[in-house]
Amino acid sequence: MSSPSRLAALQADVDLFAGATTSTRLEALPGWGSLAVLLVILHCETKHGLTVTSAQVRACATVGDLLSLIPETP
Amino acid sequence: MHSSLANVRLAGLAVSTGSVVRDYLAEGLAHGLDRAVLERTAQTVGLRERRVAAPGVTALDLCEDAARRLFAAAGLDASSVDAVIFVTQTPDHPQPNNASFLQARLGLAKGVAAFDLSLGCSGWVYGLHQAALLCAHGGAGRVLLCAGDTLSRLTHPQDRSTDPLFGDAGSAALIERTGGAAPWHFELGADGSGAGAIIVPQGGARAPAGSRPLTVVPDFDGNGRHAENLAMQGGEVFNFTLREVPAAVASVLRHAGYAAATTDGLVLHQANRFVVSAVGRKCGFPPEKTPDGIAERFGNQSSASIPCALTEAYGERLAVGPLRLALCGFGVGWSWGAVAGEFGPLVVAPVQPFPRQA
Repeated sequence: MSSPSRLAALQADVDLFAGATTSTRLEALPGWGSLAVLLVILHCETKHGLTVTSAQVRACATVGDLLSLIPETP
Repeated sequence: MHSSLANVRLAGLAVSTGSVVRDYLAEGLAHGLDRAVLERTAQTVGLRERRVAAPGVTALDLCEDAARRLFAAAGLDASSVDAVIFVTQTPDHPQPNNASFLQARLGLAKGVAAFDLSLGCSGWVYGLHQAALLCAHGGAGRVLLCAGDTLSRLTHPQDRSTDPLFGDAGSAALIERTGGAAPWHFELGADGSGAGAIIVPQGGARAPAGSRPLTVVPDFDGNGRHAENLAMQGGEVFNFTLREVPAAVASVLRHAGYAAATTDGLVLHQANRFVVSAVGRKCGFPPEKTPDGIAERFGNQSSASIPCALTEAYGERLAVGPLRLALCGFGVGWSWGAVAGEFGPLVVAPVQPFPRQA
């Protein structure tokens, strides 16, 4: 899955990412916080079969950082 | 640890909840939070209202009420009980245990075995295992299992990551020795590396109550709590749950020879709708077989949530039973307990608040 596709998939699952770009800072998103972290963890698990930890998500500064947790697939 | 115990049955269930209703949206607005964010969170997580204990009411009181209603519904005398197990992390006192108080309050025989288990959201399944063990191999004919907490007393109102989640409840269950019953298959586990992820840091022997000032400190998200409040790292707990629960459920299903299609339901600890639905899906169960609405009405009831879900979602069918069910509790410790087997027919008393409204 390409970077734009990964962003689109994230936006489809978690509505607080609507309108965000890879350079959007997470702290600038209304509603970014502990619940959003859970939603990202669940998105990675269900859409990508990927286990990411809360610490990994919280270490991200931008949406692009979040997407880098998800390996690009053909 | 895997364990299979035969010739036991669940004979009855009752749950008493706190009597004070707290509305999620109204409380959030009173804290000055944005309505749109609150509504989105309520919809995503499944937060509507919760029932907390009235001032002065403890888990012991709630469980005593549930036990009295259960004995009445079953037409049993309390003296017929051989053992009482009390699962709680909010006992009336550090010493003695709640089970001893309950022995006297209910008028149980002096010869009962009476002990507490210090467990939270996994505790009902752990308690069920202990009760079944006493019946199958310990000489008991009938065991009273009480489980409940008043976790709403441990959260800080400024901590929006815990305070809106928890309700208070107490449950009572009767487990009996019987001939010819198919085994219940248990999987019990713990991972203490996560012990700090759900913790009340101060108030025990390691850090006695009052040993540090109760200063409210904000966390990453601006949630405030002090050292004697419940602190929970929600993301880490969610990771743990997605990692351990599906494996435990798969194990007990395999031992029982069940599949999702041949099981009547998967009853998970009712943390909240978001967690239950995510875990249920990962366990391979469809939504209609994974009740997830208990926390939305009562809050997260700790060790009383599984009996509450059994009563609310399956009470009528359990009364005429049997049903093939898988149950799994998970949480503080980290610890988890799963069981699969047949439950019912059994006596099911309706969920009621305590004290009852006039």
